[in-house]
Amino acid sequence: MIATHDAKGTRMAAARVGIGGPVGSGKTALVERLIPSLLARGIDLAVITNDLVTAEDAERIRRSGLIDPARVSAVEAGACPHTVIREDPSLNIEAADDLERRFPGVELILIESGGDNLASTFSRDLTDFWMFVIDVGGGDDIPRKRGPGVVRCDLLVINKTDLAPHVGVELAPMLAQALDVRDGRPVLLTNCRKGEGIDAVVSALERDVLFRA
Amino acid sequence: MLRLHGIVGHRDDPEVQSRLHHVEHHGGIEFLFVPPHEAGRKRFRLATDKGTDCAVSLERDEVLTDGALLFLAHGRAVIARFGEQAVWRLRPRDASAALGLGWHAGNLHWRVRFEGDVLVVLLDGPTDEYRARIAHLLAANLLEEITDV
Repeated sequence: MIATHDAKGTRMAAARVGIGGPVGSGKTALVERLIPSLLARGIDLAVITNDLVTAEDAERIRRSGLIDPARVSAVEAGACPHTVIREDPSLNIEAADDLERRFPGVELILIESGGDNLASTFSRDLTDFWMFVIDVGGGDDIPRKRGPGVVRCDLLVINKTDLAPHVGVELAPMLAQALDVRDGRPVLLTNCRKGEGIDAVVSALERDVLFRA
Repeated sequence: MLRLHGIVGHRDDPEVQSRLHHVEHHGGIEFLFVPPHEAGRKRFRLATDKGTDCAVSLERDEVLTDGALLFLAHGRAVIARFGEQAVWRLRPRDASAALGLGWHAGNLHWRVRFEGDVLVVLLDGPTDEYRARIAHLLAANLLEEITDV
């Protein structure tokens, strides 16, 4: 376990990491791959999912057997989920606070939310770091469109790399364009179906959010 | 990596000032220059002007301010400094222009403040990228760009 208390013995709040992106890009699949990888590295974890009017994603993760179902909370936005991760994140803040109260040792809370297509962003009041997930099936022109989610996130994840040859996408130029629109800030490639690239995402979280390295 | 948690004071605190004075004589003050649009973060990793890799976390109710003292011990101090937030001030010509500008600013998720009849856009990137989004309003002289404030 990493230190969760400072030198004076004060407990440090859990890091809060947002995972956003268009519907179908693989956000929940990424969470399902991250959970075992993070747990294997000894990270005490909880998850919040945001859905429109259901708890579909939360139920999927609770049933996965990957994590104690009590550590998975659902926020039902009642509107496009971007409203509760940016404009008024109070529902998510309360859900995260509640998880920290119920699991005092929790070090990392993943907050998944779709919504608002390429313009979705997370409030700094809610998250310490946020990832944006796109996929090659959406087209290799997605980075060039310079959506705020693509440009402003702390880490851009391009998922479903295995589909590239089937949808006429060349990964190398897509990656180069993503790095270009982000002025060289991090971009990682994943294939969540097979777990490829997940270790790099976990390492980025360990370095930039959990300060392990 | 220097792990820092919480704000321990402010460079203007009288008690801190006397200690900083001593540290300054030994060349022990390091500045952590935080970009204004990143100031809301509660957790970040950034190098000081002397190259020290700092991993900073704050309590959820703590707000990082210019001059916040993050570390002071052993003849060494780390102080947060902000650059000035870049802004773009726009005065709509009339109510109709104001409605149009407000609609676009909201739809584009710009960070804004209101100063009377002026909309102040807090810039996270080059002004030209913002200007391009409302070029039609500017071309129609519906907005006055205020540069002398």
